[in-house]
Amino acid sequence: MRSCCFSRRVQPVWLARICALLLLCSVAAPAWAVPSFARQTGMACAACHTVFPELTPFGRMFKAAGYVLDNMKQVQAVNSRRQEMLELAKTPALSIMAQVSYTQLKTRLPDVSNPAAPGLTQKGTAGFPQQLSLFYAGKIAPHFGAFAQLTYANDSGTIGIDNTDLRFAWMKILPHKQTLLYGISLNNNPTVQDLWNSTPAFGFPYASSNAAVSPLAATEIDGTLAQDVAGLTAYAFWNEHLYLEGGVYRSAKQGQTDVLTGAAGPLDGSASNVIEGVAPYWRAAYEYDWSANSLEVGMYGANFKLHPGAALGSNTPLQGPDNRFNDVAEDFQYQYIGENNIISVEGTRIHEQMHLAASFGAGLASNPTDDLTTERLWGTYYYRRQYGGTLGWFSTTGSTDAGLYPAAAPGGPGVVTSANGSPDTRGFIGEVNYLPWLNVQLSLQYTHYMKFNGGTTNYDGLGRNASDNDTLYLLLWFAY
Amino acid sequence: MRSTRFQLLAALAAVFGLASLPGHAQMQPAADVQNARDLAIGVCGICHGPDGNSINPMFPRLAGQHAWYLKQQLEAFRDETRGDPYAVAYMWGMASGLSDATIDALAEYFAHQKTGPGTPHSASVLAKGKEIYEHGIPSQGLPACAVCHGPQALGDSMRPRLAGQHAEYILKQLASFKNNMRNVAVMHGVAGTLHDGQMKAVADYLESLP
Repeated sequence: MRSCCFSRRVQPVWLARICALLLLCSVAAPAWAVPSFARQTGMACAACHTVFPELTPFGRMFKAAGYVLDNMKQVQAVNSRRQEMLELAKTPALSIMAQVSYTQLKTRLPDVSNPAAPGLTQKGTAGFPQQLSLFYAGKIAPHFGAFAQLTYANDSGTIGIDNTDLRFAWMKILPHKQTLLYGISLNNNPTVQDLWNSTPAFGFPYASSNAAVSPLAATEIDGTLAQDVAGLTAYAFWNEHLYLEGGVYRSAKQGQTDVLTGAAGPLDGSASNVIEGVAPYWRAAYEYDWSANSLEVGMYGANFKLHPGAALGSNTPLQGPDNRFNDVAEDFQYQYIGENNIISVEGTRIHEQMHLAASFGAGLASNPTDDLTTERLWGTYYYRRQYGGTLGWFSTTGSTDAGLYPAAAPGGPGVVTSANGSPDTRGFIGEVNYLPWLNVQLSLQYTHYMKFNGGTTNYDGLGRNASDNDTLYLLLWFAY
Repeated sequence: MRSTRFQLLAALAAVFGLASLPGHAQMQPAADVQNARDLAIGVCGICHGPDGNSINPMFPRLAGQHAWYLKQQLEAFRDETRGDPYAVAYMWGMASGLSDATIDALAEYFAHQKTGPGTPHSASVLAKGKEIYEHGIPSQGLPACAVCHGPQALGDSMRPRLAGQHAEYILKQLASFKNNMRNVAVMHGVAGTLHDGQMKAVADYLESLP
């Protein structure tokens, strides 16, 4: 796993969650449209995307059908019974994506690199690249396709597995000309397999800085477990209207070895936040289309029982009390896709109930139960898929828990702490975009915090205000 | 080969891999027709509607269109000779792997689908559109559309059906004729004559027809 440096005062169980959140910001958020899909299908990006990565109704069907629709010449093989044994595109479905960025914080951070000589950090950080990804995105065999991403990120300086979704899909034509798409997804991030952009993995912001300050709290389904789990889900999409999905997730740690054998498993107490058994995931959504409009409403959720393991501060066997997170979320997506104008409005509300037997027992949570709610709402407009912008609102509120959201140690440095033990954070993100070509995007994004880790002013008790974490983010984003 | 499993595989191959269709064209015509039906519903139908009555005006309604015209257009997409923006972005890729037999079967499928009732518009707009459609605009040298496309805009063995088509789609095509992105000499002349308001009135009138 990618390393991340953070306040030593943050409790280990939350350090892992914070790291996962940072990982999400640095890796999972830039989830992508992939030019190899365009090469494979012969169709321009606009067929599947309003503007990447938001999917059109056709894009949703392409994804549900397993990424396998293709128009390329194939290398084929049949056996003596004329069964197809191979159907391989003559050109592999590879793509490369790059992000080059510049991030500027409103107010410098404390420089804690040398405790003997405290100072301030620089304000701005260039990422060149912030991220560089190699994709295999397309058909592997009939009914079997992949969206698989390998990413170099400048914060870790290493290459790692990023969002991956392997799909096996079939279609059945029902009476009355109705369609039933059904299949199986094998993926490493809850909601990465979802068809709408209102769910976390492919939701707004579609790209964000990995050099910014992130709030303490996030729900488990909101990217906290991204690239840390293996999920197997089954889904059915009836007549482009009703979508149902259910499945399970199990921990799939990267860079983790068993202390005794040195092998990749079994996972032991040196691993952090390991799922007990399997975590169920569920999703239901209904889409209604009229004229050039599309409206989806849905719900999704998961139930995670996590053994904190090493997150308790020292290697701890993966037995005994666990922490339980029950996430239930609602979402909606409206799209108007016209010739010149494209409008999208999307939102989600995730409510998490926590039963923290393990953390509370270890003194790392102040309450045995907590709750956390994250809400996001955003609207996007594009003119001719070239000029556009998004305005988004976000809010996280939850139980006050000085164990989970700890205060700064005497003398600081604060910033990623909460003086009052509250996770409450809210603000706006504004973004303007220009796409000279459909696969090249220039973005200018500004994030404004009205509240951060429980406070508007002096939220960390050391004089830092929420708006000091405001972030200006300039991004060049392209894929080919 | 005739097993249910194979037929399912063939249908799925048709649905999920257009490039595999030419191979399946060697099967019996009945299988071709079945595959084309599944292809029409499962792939074309995503945008054009499973019965060719699309709801999104970006995508034309195909139900009841003449088979010869659908075949001609699919061949033009496959041969990359029809160059309006949506043809290039969507249909060049979609049609690139279609065999002649599949094109024929798709054209027949959509030609035999039932058309819709037409979309209502205000009486004043319809009156203006009907006047232009039926009588042209002599002062602008515009002949009546009905002369070629028929009094009910149903087309014939040489001209496409326009009745019930999305107004937005018709406007896009008129624009493409006008700037020669669709290279049809007669329509280039017609579209160059019409003003925007006149185009809109005619398009709305055509959309209102059953």
